[in-house]
Amino acid sequence: MHIAVDVGGTFTDLVVHREDGQPRGYKSLTTPADLTDGVLEGLRLVADDHACCLSELLARTKRFCFGTTTATNAVLEGKAARTVLITTRGFRETLLIREGGRPDSYDMKAVFPKPYIPRSLTFEVTERIAYDGRIIEPLDEGSVSEAIERSRQAGAEAIAVSLLWSIANADHERRVGEMIEQALPDMPFSLSHRVNPCVREYRRTSATALDASLKPVVIESIRRLEGRLATHGFTGTLSYVTSNGGQTSTREILNRPVYLCFSGPSAAPEAGRRFSDIESIGGGNVITTDMGGTSFDVSIVTGGRIPMHREGTIAGHVFGVPSVEVHTIGAGGGSIARVDSGGLVHVGPESAGASPGPACYGKGGVRPTVTDANLVSGSLGDTLTAGGGVALSRDLARAAIREHVGDPLGMSESEAAALIRVGCEQNMVVAIEDLTVKRGVDPREYIMVAGGSAAGLHAVAIARELGIGTVLVPPMTGVLSAFGILTGNISFNFGESLFTTSARFDFERVNKLLASLERDARAYLERMNIDERDQRLHYTCEARYADQVWQLTLTLPDRRVADAAALDTLVEAFHCLHETRYAVRSETDPVEITEWNVQAIGQLEDVDFPELTPDDRIATPIGRRRSFLRELDTHVNVPVLQGERLPLEQEFEGPVFIEDPLTTIVVNPGARVRLSRFGSYIIDLDA
Amino acid sequence: MPAAIPSTSESRTPSVDHFTMSILLRRFEAIIREMVNALFRSGRSGVLNTAMDFSCSITDARFQSVSVAVGLPVHVGAIELIPQAVADRFGDAVAPGDCFANNSGYHGNTHCADFTLCVPVFFRGRLAFYTIARAHFADMGFPTPTTYGPNSADVYQEGLILPCVRIQTDYRDDPAVIDICRANIRSPDQFYGDYLACLAAVRTGERRIIELCEKYGDDVIEAFADEFQAYAERMAINAIGKLEKGSVTRTMHYDSELEEYPDGIPVTATLTVDPDAAMVEIDLTDNVDNVPLGINLTESTTLACSRISVLNALGPDIPRSAGAFRRINVRMRDGAVIGRPVHPTATSAATTNLCSAFASHIHALFAEYREGMGSAYAGIGLPGSCPVVSGVDPARGGREFVNQILIGHWSGPAVSGADGWVTYGTGSSQGMLWQSSVEIVEQQQPLLVERLALRVDSGGAGEWQGGPGSEVVFRIDQSPVRFTINAAGKQHPPPGVAGGKPAVGTVVLKEDGNRNTIDLGVSVDVTLNPGERLLSYSSGGGGYGAPERRDPERVRHDLREGWISAAFAQEHYGVAPDEPDDHAGARSDR
Repeated sequence: MHIAVDVGGTFTDLVVHREDGQPRGYKSLTTPADLTDGVLEGLRLVADDHACCLSELLARTKRFCFGTTTATNAVLEGKAARTVLITTRGFRETLLIREGGRPDSYDMKAVFPKPYIPRSLTFEVTERIAYDGRIIEPLDEGSVSEAIERSRQAGAEAIAVSLLWSIANADHERRVGEMIEQALPDMPFSLSHRVNPCVREYRRTSATALDASLKPVVIESIRRLEGRLATHGFTGTLSYVTSNGGQTSTREILNRPVYLCFSGPSAAPEAGRRFSDIESIGGGNVITTDMGGTSFDVSIVTGGRIPMHREGTIAGHVFGVPSVEVHTIGAGGGSIARVDSGGLVHVGPESAGASPGPACYGKGGVRPTVTDANLVSGSLGDTLTAGGGVALSRDLARAAIREHVGDPLGMSESEAAALIRVGCEQNMVVAIEDLTVKRGVDPREYIMVAGGSAAGLHAVAIARELGIGTVLVPPMTGVLSAFGILTGNISFNFGESLFTTSARFDFERVNKLLASLERDARAYLERMNIDERDQRLHYTCEARYADQVWQLTLTLPDRRVADAAALDTLVEAFHCLHETRYAVRSETDPVEITEWNVQAIGQLEDVDFPELTPDDRIATPIGRRRSFLRELDTHVNVPVLQGERLPLEQEFEGPVFIEDPLTTIVVNPGARVRLSRFGSYIIDLDA
Repeated sequence: MPAAIPSTSESRTPSVDHFTMSILLRRFEAIIREMVNALFRSGRSGVLNTAMDFSCSITDARFQSVSVAVGLPVHVGAIELIPQAVADRFGDAVAPGDCFANNSGYHGNTHCADFTLCVPVFFRGRLAFYTIARAHFADMGFPTPTTYGPNSADVYQEGLILPCVRIQTDYRDDPAVIDICRANIRSPDQFYGDYLACLAAVRTGERRIIELCEKYGDDVIEAFADEFQAYAERMAINAIGKLEKGSVTRTMHYDSELEEYPDGIPVTATLTVDPDAAMVEIDLTDNVDNVPLGINLTESTTLACSRISVLNALGPDIPRSAGAFRRINVRMRDGAVIGRPVHPTATSAATTNLCSAFASHIHALFAEYREGMGSAYAGIGLPGSCPVVSGVDPARGGREFVNQILIGHWSGPAVSGADGWVTYGTGSSQGMLWQSSVEIVEQQQPLLVERLALRVDSGGAGEWQGGPGSEVVFRIDQSPVRFTINAAGKQHPPPGVAGGKPAVGTVVLKEDGNRNTIDLGVSVDVTLNPGERLLSYSSGGGGYGAPERRDPERVRHDLREGWISAAFAQEHYGVAPDEPDDHAGARSDR
């Protein structure tokens, strides 16, 4: 048996994959004080469902994989360790100034954000290395000893070391590390050239500061989980999902906890890919969305590959390690709608949250939310099935919409409700475009996998706006990331910076470095007990034209750059990539490469979904709901179908609402829905 | 082009429904962001690919800025002058595939170094929109390697001028224009790379607008563009209607190296708020005549700074677009240093020096008009840490280089409710410029940055304190580097408002191998040799409100963090430092 857990802000989701091949999802409440309580509670639910006790369940569990907000929350809530930064003399402000810029140039009264590590905990050492690795000023060990002593006096619980140009010559950083080990043997510390070997001191320093500050918290949390699982008889492998969406052992995580940023949501694209595989649609091009009460996450898979980026941020701090690009915006059922003094409607980012919640919850919320709009427009029924049968008040929703949107704009309640839906959907469309159109990716060549409790309400409308032809609402829609964690591969990244240019390509050093990264990657996969036939290595480099400073991640055509012909192939691949992204190519310019990476992937066995049984199914509506349809500009009595009991592979024409225990699906006019034999709802839109 | 556009909002009923408004507003925002991304990521010079010294805009066929442009305030506040110049010069002789280049202050551009491309977007044979990308280039072929020329006596001492010329026909470069540029501009390959980046932006915008017209119909799109202006205008009317009637006149002085102005060049403006007519007027007609320096403002920068500064005071919700600009009347005079220059007046530093003082001045007028509004003065001119550097790079085979460095560009003005935004820069850029990475600076040119630190006690004291200035040291490594700098704010540092104190002024020094220093003044053109250093101390931002009203907790925080000295805390705030270990356990202090 394999178990995957995704500890989110509100719910702890579990997916269990039994020996008979039937995955099943569970939810328990997250317990912020000690996350393991919520996990064990969830495991008890699973044990009950399997008519066994917790220790029997854990004894049968071979793999236990874990996605956790531990790191993310520690950063967001300022609960990471008290951390000191040691840096090159003269450069104490790196974390203060970040990279400049201002998120909103209109807002004159914005408050400048605080640095992740305050200036009073930033200590300088005398040393300097040049961009080409030359030592301009040798490391003054006296200044290092002094910085370490001041760290001790300041009550440091962790130390981040980030020196200028340590990526060109790491001698000084390594020496500072040795001196910390000697002086303070139990002090966790992180060195920038190991955490995130990229040029740009802010990005490297920020990743290192996060990494060091997370070490005590993560060590503690892993030890506690391991301990409690062991107490209950677990003897299998424990792994964690990282920011790159793959799983890795606790050993890697303990060394580089910054890889736990976005652990959990990072597994969503993997889930999207699996469901598109299971249904054999999409050809590996998948946009995965996850919509809940407060946030909307988007990620993409292209040609079966999950693209990585290096610009992940958390609470405004760059963490920089290769990560699945999950774009998150504040849009969900709780997003509040308002009309400004010029008569334009805005939906979100302000949210009613769980308390007071939408007006229709009757818990004191008076401002209209997206959930209220869905209720008034008929998309939702009077009880929220996904929320455990909460009764919703249509009157309260109507009143809120009338007062705050309908009356100011001179519209009826149902029109105003439709307008709120459109406002919310537009925000989601933009979030998807940021990941696709802006990167030269055409969303029309993708299918959309819609996850989250609010997934089905808006997915079809969003798909239509983007020209996406097919929407898939999977059976695990409420526990999408946990499913992605279950099915995710073992994966970790090995990279180093090495500058070279196609004008004077350093074949020898590049190939030597690639060989060394390859050895590290293979050794890692061996350690993770991956059979050789299941080992995959993916080689990339960070490349740009001469004088550019932003690199594109380029997949290497081969494991080595053997000769001039191989280099030509590589350069041509870069021209094509640049043209796809930015509409122009520059044939005559040399291509510069700054960094080389090998991703080690260990493929795990596939999860099969058994086919549903075709009997005892009904196609007749269980009711009708009156709904204003903007496409038709009129009210229609839309039939409601009971999702789980639909006849298999039979198409129903929109407009129709599908009620499922996990979500409600709005199938707009012009779209058709069917329940697949593997349990997904598949909605086809007219081109 | 009149400074104030007559209102059209009263008589018209909206022809676009709320649904379409919501959708198209997001569509245009997405298009502009895509243009920005293309330019940023593919640009070659540091000013573009690190500092983001560029902007992207879209206007309709009547030159109204559609949606909201993204970029520096001084770049986007009067963008309509660019397509206006295309129409003035070429009339109907404009076709799909054309692209026009304009860097002339006499043809609606900001200043010589801002290279502006404008593409007319046709749909079904009719000109419907313009896409515009404006970027500060690393070199424009000035006699000396700078892109500002603060001391240029007239336009003939400035760079190559492209007075709105056709640079592409049928989507192909005009080789003559490109050849002329390459022959006149230093680092021609870098120039061409940056040109391609701008072209990527305007062509991307063109493609997306055509797709949008195909999907929604060009009539709907154009009706949206009108309705958007009406919306922006309504927002401005409502905001102005809430203010009280009043008028304020104020003069400040800008550092002068001219004999006629021993006490500085006066900058004068009158702000008049008329809530009944829902109009704000900025009267600039009292300013002195053009000076024989590059610091004269252009029509574009005068208008842009006036409009954006007014809207900053009115609040963040009003779109910075043509409809809102209709409610702002800017009165200016031909031949005035702040106004419309008379040819051949030099204007190559029209976005930075006097301009930055002027933009802050309008903010300060609002602070005087009603406490709580506006801001203190931000940095004035560019500090010594933002030089244009040039020379030959021995590490790159003796290749010539020229580039502008942007670090330590801080000096944020205090506002009521917040201390100065640390990386604000000046009133013309308002924090929109990004700061270079020290490592990228050292990778791009042969020099060492030895220090990049905040300048203690440099922000103006006040209830809300001005942001700090920076201390930056450049050391020449292996071969000589020429620095040109157009600083200011030395003789007249950024003032405070509403009882707030002024910031500490700018200093630029040269240090020789024996550690002797020479003050270089504010307009610098100096070549430094290996072992020599350039020391830059930038001014802070001005303070807002009386210092005695400052929360002592904030003072103690600044002391702990080393932003101010004990002497400064005592002198301005009467606050003594903490016990040394008072901050132990401040875990959440981030």
